[in-house]
Amino acid sequence: MEGLPASVAEQLQALTYGERAVAYLQVDAELNLVGAGGHLEAYGLAGLRLGEPVAEQVFFLEGLLPPVETPYIVPSMELASGHAADLYFLPQDDTWWVVLLDVSAAREAARRMQQKAYDMTLAQEREALLNRRLEAANAALLATQRELEASRDALARAHDQVQAQAVELAAWNKTLEERVSAQLAEIERMARLKRFFAPSLAELIVSSGNERILESHRRDVAVLFCDLRGFTAFAESAEPEEVMVLLHDYHAALVPLIQQFEGTLDRFVGDGLMVYFNDPLPCPNPAERAVSLAVAMRGAVTTLAQTWRRRDYQLGFGIGIAQGFATLGQIGFEGRFDYSAIGTVINTAARLCESAKDGQILVTSRVAAAVAEAASVTEIGQLTFKGLSRPLAVSNVEALKAA
Amino acid sequence: MTATLQKKICMLGAFSVGKTSLVKRFVESVFSETYLTTVGVKIDKKTVELSNRIVNLILWDLAGEDDISSLRTSYVRGSAGYLLVADGTRPSTLEVALSLRQRVEVEFGPLPFVLLLNKNDLREEWAIRDEEVEGLRRDGWWVRPTSARTGEGVDDAFGALADRVAR
Repeated sequence: MEGLPASVAEQLQALTYGERAVAYLQVDAELNLVGAGGHLEAYGLAGLRLGEPVAEQVFFLEGLLPPVETPYIVPSMELASGHAADLYFLPQDDTWWVVLLDVSAAREAARRMQQKAYDMTLAQEREALLNRRLEAANAALLATQRELEASRDALARAHDQVQAQAVELAAWNKTLEERVSAQLAEIERMARLKRFFAPSLAELIVSSGNERILESHRRDVAVLFCDLRGFTAFAESAEPEEVMVLLHDYHAALVPLIQQFEGTLDRFVGDGLMVYFNDPLPCPNPAERAVSLAVAMRGAVTTLAQTWRRRDYQLGFGIGIAQGFATLGQIGFEGRFDYSAIGTVINTAARLCESAKDGQILVTSRVAAAVAEAASVTEIGQLTFKGLSRPLAVSNVEALKAA
Repeated sequence: MTATLQKKICMLGAFSVGKTSLVKRFVESVFSETYLTTVGVKIDKKTVELSNRIVNLILWDLAGEDDISSLRTSYVRGSAGYLLVADGTRPSTLEVALSLRQRVEVEFGPLPFVLLLNKNDLREEWAIRDEEVEGLRRDGWWVRPTSARTGEGVDDAFGALADRVAR
């Protein structure tokens, strides 16, 4: 208080004492409380016992006494009472004076300032953290977007591929349908043709694709008729099953021969068969082929007839062959077509067949002339036939000559 | 049971890690969501019963560390041990805790301490890596996850330190 008049210094002291709630404790070397005074109650220090250890009564002094340095100050200590004080540890003789000066107001001001600073710092930290999270989320979003774009591209590529495959598949389907329908058409044509021709011939016609061959046309053909002698009487007396078995054996023996000689089978009528040559495909010597077939048929039926005789069937086999122009082609209507021949030559062959006795192969003079080198033929003479205006010179083929 | 002991314990750590809240939870078993910064030091007292003695813990809740207020070592003088507190959602507070512990050790030598990773109730915001914590444990540190909000680990942590300082 040097320089201050004593009255001012006293007033200042009184002011400080009152305003700053001065309180004090005196502690001896054994750390016992030996004195106390001032605004002790403001710091929750009422009821102190002198002569007893200070730290047990003033617990915030635990560990602080004796101080390691002088003066020793503990600033801004908030006590249980809510007051904050600066603690001054001042030595005097063998004792320590602990002086408490209230700093609650200054502390509150400092606290408010500090709080603002900390709040701001926390807000900044929070903002930085949120920014980092936002950036991370952004990066993840970008990555996802890139993945999505890649997936979309892959999907588009897959879609294009599927589309292309679908187009390709449709094309294949179309081709397949065309092939199937072409094959079906071929199968139908084959089925139709096989009814008329030897299978090899039918395939030939189909593979050549020339079905115009089936259109109506005229051609020089050799026509062969054959049937069984005594068949009508047999059919009347025998059981139908027996008749069917016989016909089956008969056809089974003859049809392969017709195919072998590449004749065109016109029709079956019961025991009667009509075959011709040189149509629809041309052959070099139709009469010779017809005669060769006739001899083979006669041989086959002769063998069959041995069985028939054992069963007491009285059946013979006759053949007639003529050559001449006929009109050939499909006859009938949609759903029931036949390939057939029409003309005098057909009637002639049929009449010759009717006239043939068992084992005879009756031929016209033209046929006989055509096969003169290949077969032994015997003239029978001029015969008159029903439906034919003029008599015909007829011969019988005995056998084929050895080649 | 032997005579009652009295030990000074400091709460050290960065600002806003929950030192005051931990003390409040430990002493009064309450928690307040309002953050009020501590200026200087706040004194509290809590008596704990250990297996063989009763200890009065004089709790010095120190103002948090930051750039503008550095640790006043005069507050730590006379401490028997301290609780080092970090906020598990703010990794920088663990760095502050590590540096505080170093300064205390330089000034006062090795004192018993427990590292509290506070705010363990905010696991979804947790930002301290487990490997770092494991490393500290391997170095012999006592590390406790705590939550002043739920009370998780609080009594255990104070009790563990009391046990050590009372030996």
